[in-house]
Amino acid sequence: MPCKHVIGHGPELVRALAAWRSIAPAAALELRPLEIDPAAGQAALAAALDGLEDLDGEGASAFVALDARFLNGMRLDLMASLRLRGIAMPALVEPGALVAAGVRMDDNCWIGAGAIIQHGSRIGFNTVIGAGAIVGSGVTVGHSAWIDEGVVIGRGARIGAQVTLGLGVIVGHGRQIGKLCIVDKAGRIEQDIAAKTFIHATHAQPIVIIGA
Amino acid sequence: MRSRMPPQAYIDEAWFTRERELLFKPLWQFIGLKVMLDKHNAFITRTLSGIPVVVQNFHGELRAFENICPHRQNPIQVQPHGVRPLFCGYHGWSFDREGATRIPHEDALYRFPPEERACIHLRRFALEVVGNLVFVCLAGTPLPIKQQFGAAMLASLTASSLAYDSEVIMTTYEGHFNWKLAYENLRDGHHPRYLHARSLYQDVKFEASISEEGVAGLRRLQEAGIADRSRALGLMRSFSGGGRDAPMAAPPDEPYHAHVERYRDQDWYYNWLAFPNLHIASANGGHAFIIEHHIPVAAGRTDLVVYYLTAKKKQPYASSAAVLHAHMMGTDIVMREDIEVMEQIQRTLHPGASSPHLGDYEFINASLELWYLDLMEGKFAL
Repeated sequence: MPCKHVIGHGPELVRALAAWRSIAPAAALELRPLEIDPAAGQAALAAALDGLEDLDGEGASAFVALDARFLNGMRLDLMASLRLRGIAMPALVEPGALVAAGVRMDDNCWIGAGAIIQHGSRIGFNTVIGAGAIVGSGVTVGHSAWIDEGVVIGRGARIGAQVTLGLGVIVGHGRQIGKLCIVDKAGRIEQDIAAKTFIHATHAQPIVIIGA
Repeated sequence: MRSRMPPQAYIDEAWFTRERELLFKPLWQFIGLKVMLDKHNAFITRTLSGIPVVVQNFHGELRAFENICPHRQNPIQVQPHGVRPLFCGYHGWSFDREGATRIPHEDALYRFPPEERACIHLRRFALEVVGNLVFVCLAGTPLPIKQQFGAAMLASLTASSLAYDSEVIMTTYEGHFNWKLAYENLRDGHHPRYLHARSLYQDVKFEASISEEGVAGLRRLQEAGIADRSRALGLMRSFSGGGRDAPMAAPPDEPYHAHVERYRDQDWYYNWLAFPNLHIASANGGHAFIIEHHIPVAAGRTDLVVYYLTAKKKQPYASSAAVLHAHMMGTDIVMREDIEVMEQIQRTLHPGASSPHLGDYEFINASLELWYLDLMEGKFAL
């Protein structure tokens, strides 16, 4: 029987396991959860992955379920480690999500229940689109982004890699949000946002990174 | 001992205006980091002592000007930082490294008389670069910067700031407190064990103590007063200093540390206080630095501009932005603990409020306030 390694932490791991089970009954897919400690460090994570059995077995696949911590970098690192081992990592589209025909979606994407992805959009690998989010037509979302539940992205918008959009965010049509940004303050964005800009509800002014 | 600082020093706008003239305008004020100005046309803007200032890179040379177009007083650079020629977007006036003006359609539309045209240029301010730290002075005749900070402090600031990386994270907190509460708080080594008991104090066990030598110096100062300007400048230099402060509770150990050229090799909390309103610290033994610039805005308003950077990268690494963001959010906890208590204090102050009682361990703050009040009472000038 095919098996799926579901690797992650906390509520994301629980949700991912429930979602995969809702898609495939226990008789059709064996789920193998692995709870990792995000604070454990790279060596411990690598050791945990090395301990997985049947990574290269026939019908084996994997899914990484981690939140947006470290600018989504921890989820990206974990996914990259698994990909290097050659295992398939198909996207998870939860029941009730509406994904238009022709939408391109890469490995380890996670489309939540009730999300709507409209025609002509591209969702980069490892990106999470939360339940009930709306992604307008012709939108490009880079890899390893985190689009929270109920977020609205207007048509033609471009969302960079490893961007986090928090609860209550609405991105106007055609707007561009550079890579590695966080917008975690409810409201409508009608200006482009430069890469590495962090807008938190807790901060009166944006946090920005300058230089490299 | 009973403080002489009246509540008006913290709440009165007329006092604040006089303070700007007597204290801030004659002194060198931090304005930003050289690493933010590392290319032609890179600029930063800040409002210091109510004056909008732009520092602009002209082919590698930094110049400071008043950020006001002489035509219609429009700000020339409108962003806090960026890369853009010194060019006013309102009517197209542009400015060179001397502050001289090129005016499009000048003959056809302006026809300034020669004597008036000769006066049309930007007001320039003195600028000094100390390692990676850029200072400006708004005075017409600036005090030599060494007289403000002292040679040892300048050397320490230079050496430590040259360890800074070129990738910087920054933000501004809009504090509702008088800026002096910040310098008093920073020179109070006893508060971390209470105010930061669950944050900073977990990593660094600050121990306040009484310096009998310092207390004796304070007593002499109280008796003899500040005799002259030379003595006042010498005393002012003693308010700035830096280096090792307190040992870390445990050796610093984060994955990114392997990617940076650590400043020195000691597991200490480093602390630099540059009077009047700049604080730099490294809470992880020289792997990263926080820079806090307290910009007075009004008697009860202070903008706290916070920069965070690691020591220089050995080579670029993928998670550097995440490291900076994580540090900034971690620092945010300590910053808010300080800001909250300063805002609480500010709210208690009223014209009839009683003066504070300082302990002997607070001899530096006590000396500083004596110096400050003599300055404000006109007993010496900077």
